[in-house]
Amino acid sequence: MQESPIAAAEHETDRDSADVARVLAGDVGAFEGIVRRWQGPLVNMAWRYCRDRGRAEEMAQDALIRAWRGLASWRSESSFSTWLFSIAANVYRTELKRFPTAPPLEEAAEPATPASQADEFEDRRQREALRRAVLALPHRYREPVVLFYFHEMDVGMAARTMGLPEGTVKARLARGRDLLRKRFPYLNPKAEATHMMSTGKDPVR
Amino acid sequence: MKHEFQSAEYADAIDRILAADEELVPSSGFLAGVMERVRDEAIAPRPIPFPWKLALPGMVLAAGTIGWLIYEFIRTVLDSAPDISFAAPRLASTTQMVLSPVVWIAFALALSLGSWALARRIARNYRVF
Repeated sequence: MQESPIAAAEHETDRDSADVARVLAGDVGAFEGIVRRWQGPLVNMAWRYCRDRGRAEEMAQDALIRAWRGLASWRSESSFSTWLFSIAANVYRTELKRFPTAPPLEEAAEPATPASQADEFEDRRQREALRRAVLALPHRYREPVVLFYFHEMDVGMAARTMGLPEGTVKARLARGRDLLRKRFPYLNPKAEATHMMSTGKDPVR
Repeated sequence: MKHEFQSAEYADAIDRILAADEELVPSSGFLAGVMERVRDEAIAPRPIPFPWKLALPGMVLAAGTIGWLIYEFIRTVLDSAPDISFAAPRLASTTQMVLSPVVWIAFALALSLGSWALARRIARNYRVF
């Protein structure tokens, strides 16, 4: 099975430590190794925050610059990835507060009818609508949802990235997912089954 | 460790869609762009830290002066309140009224000059000019 870019980068902790030590000793070029390893995860994380490729790259660049400035504050007893993702989350959060991307959830697109899910194009459109609806969630629920899926459904990692207790993140995540389920009821298999029982129609066909 | 949200109960369509988001590959110039900014930052002169040690006496002096002025102002207002009358002002008090602004202006000028001299001295010490 192919390893995710985050997992691949996390396996290189020793190299991160070595590069940080070199940078702090005055070798600016050593930062390139850090950028090379983490550019993918940071751009993808930013992409999930804004779903705009150009903006995602700008935000990831800002996060890396912020990390560069604060490199001396990283304590090697904590994971480099956690530290870096926390910085990135702060940068992305601040950036999106200044220039929001998404309309309110009520204005986000939703599937018109279950039957329209039948064709492949419609299916793709609805997947994209769901992803965009995540951005339209209220701020306190959006970030836990974004980070939970970005960290491959690892609540602990999402909580550490946000600097919040796991319980808080779980509660916000549950609320965020509830809002999405209400907005996209036909994507929920249970709702589909209920719909079939009440109408006698298969919503997917 | 992955969480129980991965359990079958929760692994609904929303989870499947959001967990399977597409992976972006950073553009070819991304790395070079970051390193260019990093190198620019590395050669830029470090920001001058605020000289708290030098500024603190001045700030304490300024705070004290302002406090004293407020105290004097309130005292003057309270002292002059009972003296309000429709009688013609005496010569002495007229002279006092004329002199009072002059004294204040002189004091304000001296304070400004002192502040300017202090700021200049601090700036010269840190080679701003």
